[in-house]
Amino acid sequence: MLAEDFNLPKQTHDIFGIMARGNFISSNGSKDGMNRLYDIVNNPDNFDRLQAYFNVIRYNIERGNNFFYFSKLHEPNSELEKKLERFERYIDIIDLLASMDNKITIGSRFRPSEIAEECNANVRLKQKLQKIPLYRSETLHNKVREICDLMSRDSFLEMEDEKTESYKVLDSYAYLLDVINSVAIYEDTGGNTDDAQGLIYN
Amino acid sequence: METNCRILNRIVEINISNVKYADIELSGNTCFVGTNNFGKTSLQRAILFFYSANSRGLGISASQKPFEEHYFRYENSYLIYEIATEDKAFFVMVYRHNKLVFRFVDAPYNPDFFFTANDEAMKIKEIIGNLEKRGIYISNQIDTFERYRNIIYGTETDKQLSKFHLLKGNEKYQNIPKSITNVFLSSKSSVDSRFIKDFIANSLTTESSSIKLEQVERQLRQFNEKYSDIETYLKKESQQLIELIDKKYDQVHMLKGAQMEMADKLGSSLRFAETQNESIREASKKKEEELDVLTAEHETLKENIESKQNDIREEIGYYDRTIRDANKKLKAYKEQNVEEALEKNQEREKLQVELNIARREYESLTSNVASIEMKYSTLIEQLRNDKSAYINKINSRTSEIFNHYNELQLLQKNEYNKRDAELKQKRDESLGEVNSEVTAKQIEFNELKSEEKVIRTTRFYEQEIKDLESELAELRAVSYKNKSERAIKQNMVQTLQREWEALELKLKSSLSNRVNQTNNEIIKLKNEIKDIEGKLNVQHDAFYGFLEKNVKNWHNTIGKVVNEKLLFRTDITPEMKQETADTLYGISLNLETVEVVSKSIEEYQFEKNERLAAIRDLEEALNGFQTANNEEKMLAADKFGKQLGEMKEDVKVLTYSLELADKREHKLGSELEEWRHKAGVEVEQSLTGNRQRLNIIEEELTLLNKKKNNLLADFDNQFNKLKVYNDERLAELKERQETEISELEVEKKNQVKDYENKEDELSKEKDTNFKSKGVDAKQLKGVENRMKEIQEALKEIEQYAQIVSDYLKDKREIFDKMPDFIQKKEEFVKSNNDLTTQVEEATRKFNTKRMDLNKQKRAFDEELIDFNNGINFYSNNFRETPVYTKYSDIIERAEAKRTNYNIMDLCTQLLKNDSHFNEEYGAFQRYVNEFAGKFKIDNHFNFIIRNDASQGEYERFAQNLRSFINENKIELSIAETATQIGLVTDSIATKVKELSGQKDKIQHIITLIAEDFKKAEFEESKLIEFIKIRLEESDNKVYKLLKRIQEFREENGLVYNEGLFNTDFATGQKREISGRAVKLLDQLSSAIKEQEQEEIRLQDLFELKFNIKEGMNETGWTHKIDSIGSTGTDILVKAIIYITLLHVFIKESSHRSSKDFKVHCIIDEVGQISAHYLRELLRFAKNRNIMMINGLPNKSGLESHYKYTYQFRREENNNVRIFPSIVTEVEA
Repeated sequence: MLAEDFNLPKQTHDIFGIMARGNFISSNGSKDGMNRLYDIVNNPDNFDRLQAYFNVIRYNIERGNNFFYFSKLHEPNSELEKKLERFERYIDIIDLLASMDNKITIGSRFRPSEIAEECNANVRLKQKLQKIPLYRSETLHNKVREICDLMSRDSFLEMEDEKTESYKVLDSYAYLLDVINSVAIYEDTGGNTDDAQGLIYN
Repeated sequence: METNCRILNRIVEINISNVKYADIELSGNTCFVGTNNFGKTSLQRAILFFYSANSRGLGISASQKPFEEHYFRYENSYLIYEIATEDKAFFVMVYRHNKLVFRFVDAPYNPDFFFTANDEAMKIKEIIGNLEKRGIYISNQIDTFERYRNIIYGTETDKQLSKFHLLKGNEKYQNIPKSITNVFLSSKSSVDSRFIKDFIANSLTTESSSIKLEQVERQLRQFNEKYSDIETYLKKESQQLIELIDKKYDQVHMLKGAQMEMADKLGSSLRFAETQNESIREASKKKEEELDVLTAEHETLKENIESKQNDIREEIGYYDRTIRDANKKLKAYKEQNVEEALEKNQEREKLQVELNIARREYESLTSNVASIEMKYSTLIEQLRNDKSAYINKINSRTSEIFNHYNELQLLQKNEYNKRDAELKQKRDESLGEVNSEVTAKQIEFNELKSEEKVIRTTRFYEQEIKDLESELAELRAVSYKNKSERAIKQNMVQTLQREWEALELKLKSSLSNRVNQTNNEIIKLKNEIKDIEGKLNVQHDAFYGFLEKNVKNWHNTIGKVVNEKLLFRTDITPEMKQETADTLYGISLNLETVEVVSKSIEEYQFEKNERLAAIRDLEEALNGFQTANNEEKMLAADKFGKQLGEMKEDVKVLTYSLELADKREHKLGSELEEWRHKAGVEVEQSLTGNRQRLNIIEEELTLLNKKKNNLLADFDNQFNKLKVYNDERLAELKERQETEISELEVEKKNQVKDYENKEDELSKEKDTNFKSKGVDAKQLKGVENRMKEIQEALKEIEQYAQIVSDYLKDKREIFDKMPDFIQKKEEFVKSNNDLTTQVEEATRKFNTKRMDLNKQKRAFDEELIDFNNGINFYSNNFRETPVYTKYSDIIERAEAKRTNYNIMDLCTQLLKNDSHFNEEYGAFQRYVNEFAGKFKIDNHFNFIIRNDASQGEYERFAQNLRSFINENKIELSIAETATQIGLVTDSIATKVKELSGQKDKIQHIITLIAEDFKKAEFEESKLIEFIKIRLEESDNKVYKLLKRIQEFREENGLVYNEGLFNTDFATGQKREISGRAVKLLDQLSSAIKEQEQEEIRLQDLFELKFNIKEGMNETGWTHKIDSIGSTGTDILVKAIIYITLLHVFIKESSHRSSKDFKVHCIIDEVGQISAHYLRELLRFAKNRNIMMINGLPNKSGLESHYKYTYQFRREENNNVRIFPSIVTEVEA
């Protein structure tokens, strides 16, 4: 079956290019015409066609609140584990972002320097930021930059203005919140170790 | 020097650049020889400046000094151009007077005009003076390049200056300097058709006639941004967010208002508590004192009354006792038959008299027998005495016994009385105790009863309820007012909306009508144009073409009689027949007075242009109309929107205040209900407490009564027992007394009988003696019996004498006063009762007042406690919280005022509400962020919020959003965007049309060039067989899109964008058109970005291709012509093409009458061309009245082909000297 048979929109390639990388298409994204792509996927006719088309290659379009992403049909457990590992690092990040005085929510616009400044002024936030593993940057500012960079790469943020280094929080951020909110922390009371804690992903 | 035509004859440089003086003749082909950097090009630029008079179009790079500074270094720097004319030469001098200026001098150049005797160049003033002195005309200073060019190219209207022209140019004369400049500037470039294109295009166009893509892109970007903003705004999700923001804003606003109100109340309460604390304490103390005074007064009053009552009670007791004793005595007297005794006592005197009579009678009877009588009387008397002694003895014994027993009885009675008294005392004591207890309880009971009455009549929380009721009434009145105001405003909103809609409809229909009307007119004009174009297209092959070619002045002959339709028919095969010339089918006509009906091609062209202009005018008018319409729409939107916005805001405010009022009413209602309930509960509680106490007291009273009864029964029992014992004892004593007395009486009776028997014996003895002596014993006996009877009766009377005497005494003293005693007692009882009532009343009043005071005091105390608790709570649990910080201003500024709320509740509520507020505010912020995040940071709605925005900024955002909705700004924005898309497409279409309009000119020029190439005598030299040129369609993507937009615009007229964002089915087609327009613009925007081209110029509209054959080499149709042969060939071909172009442009741009002039073609660096070719080239140019000015790096023999050759040499002082080289012109 050919792609033409599906009567697909001409942006199908772009859509696939974004989502197949594990990224999201958010309605409030403006770079590379992301909002247009969102509108295209969101069009019910297009959605059905794209879904049918991608299902053939074992991808499923998942609809979030104002964003889309791919899930794989019959994903192997190892992949799932990798995904979980990927989200683990976001727990601390979201914790930090949610603890800011000016809470970072969908649509918020901010600069890494603002966050770094706030972290610098607030010991609690500073500790949270320093606690975030994976990053080796020396200054707080660079660390925040790296976080923003990571989140941009994962399409949760979008850099709106390179000159002012201003980021915008995309709709896909809700996905992160959802995943992290569905994490239940349990304490292993039966075990011998005192600090035995674990995560359950609902 | 040639004198039969006009030509730039000479150029003189005085102190120009590093040339001190140079005088160069230019009236023929001229060549400059010199190595690089010696100033060849500078001189050529100076020559070019004569033609172009544009110091910035001389090919001087930006890194080099500008022309003015490099050339005119001194104040006596002059450039002099001498122009030869048909008769006398004139010259123009250029010098710097701040900027470059020109002066024309009506005389041939003479160095004496400029130099002093010392060969020093003069200053301009001196030169002018010098010239004026010589009577030579010198023009005023020409300040602008434009004016200079007008003069040189013969379009100057000033008669004094008009003679100083090189040639007579037409309106397109600017092409001549442009062409000369272009040739000079492009002489170093490779020969590319693109360059030729540029050359032609640049010569035909001005700088402004290109389509600046940056501008288009900016317009497109602006449109796209607006379009995308509107699209984002209209999305369902955005609309939902707007609703959420609106709703949340109201909630947040309300909560904030409530918090502020509460903070104000808290502040008021705190201030009030602080200011009132001392006064309340004082008031409480005062109430306590009042209470003490009241209690003391009451006690005193009570004591007084009680003491009076005691006195009265004593009196009552006295009278009671007296009456009781009297009754007792009376009863005792009655028992002793006092009445009978009294009756008998009344007969005592009578009996005494009767006794005395009987004694006297007896004495008279016994006077004869006195001795016998005496003897017997003595014996009898003695016997009687014995008997009396005996009786007396017995009587004394009886009396002794009687007395003894009486004494015993008395003792018993005394004992009984004593014990009875003791018992009574005991009973009285016990009863007294019980009674006092009962009385106390009774008093308490009465108190409670009166308290209950007081409670029933008391209205608890009266003030609070009253306050709330009045507040509610006020609130309802305000609500009523607000409701009616809201209804009025809503009506006004509807009216305004209807007015607005009507106006919009009117505007829309007028626009629609105007569009239709204009479109119709345009269609009509287009048809006419089409008609004209049809005629023009066919005219070559039609009768018209035939006449043009073959018949001179045919318009004045055939043109007056022929039918226009006939003129453009191609099927009538006209043929020239000499015989019938100037006749109509052989008939000669005088047509002098007949009007010409045929039109020239120009007239047709003019008509077409007129119609095109009419269309443009119509479109412009429509555009104007649309803009005006839009403006009107915007004005209406502004006017109505603002009004509506204000109204809606008012309505919203009213609704909000009504909601608040409703809530407040509800709250107040429930508070009122609560207070009432509380009051009821308070009454109930008080009553219940009272009742319980009453019940307890009642029970206690019952118990006490029972106890009292038991006590009484017990004592009665004891009394009875005592009485029975006493009675028994008395009975026994009486019995013993009576027994002993009766025994004595029997003995006495027997003894007396003995005595009486003896007396009878003696009497009988006496009587016998008397009888013996003759005395009537019977009469005597009768008297004696009578005396005895009376004595007996008296004796009996005497027995009651004491009782009667006592009775009479008592009667006199007591019994007769009894009614008085009763009366007095009753009076005292009444007084006592009155006093009791008085006490009860006083007690009731006291209780009421005490309760009232207690209540007041309790209220003060409670308030004080409440205040203190509140202040403590505020200090410990509120003062340090962020909530305080948030509302500190309000709290600290509040006026001291009593509120219905206590401080602790207010603090708790504020804290609680704040957490709720924070939650709601968080949601509100999230919605605002999400909404603003949907738009670009620089969106034209200005929906932007910073991440660290304050609450005020968030609220302003919501307010602005609300105004945006209320004023229906989206409609305005849509209208603006719709206008913009119209304007953008229109502007693109106009520009494309304008630019495309020049394509005809290009075609014309290309035709001329092609013809000129044909005319060239290449065949003679056989060097170049042919040069062909042709036009092809452009493959520029941006241009193609621009063209499509223009076509779209032509097809759909003015893009009347009602359909933009319109989902109405009725206007679906318009929407589709708008959709296509948007898509096209989008494509154009992408193409511009992709192509990275700054502008679309005339040269982008077509492709130019050459086909050149040189010897055996034919290039074929190609863009580039640098691969024809050797470099020399290339230069030759290039030069030929340039000369051709120049020739064509000069021909096109000069007046037809102006033919006797020559211009220069400046091409630098022709060193690589062969002599043969050069000769060919010079001849080619000469045939076209063009003189060549070329540069050569060194002398190579080529210079011999030029009329003038100048050499350049750099001297030691770095100055350049230009001097003529002596060569012989071989051929020119």
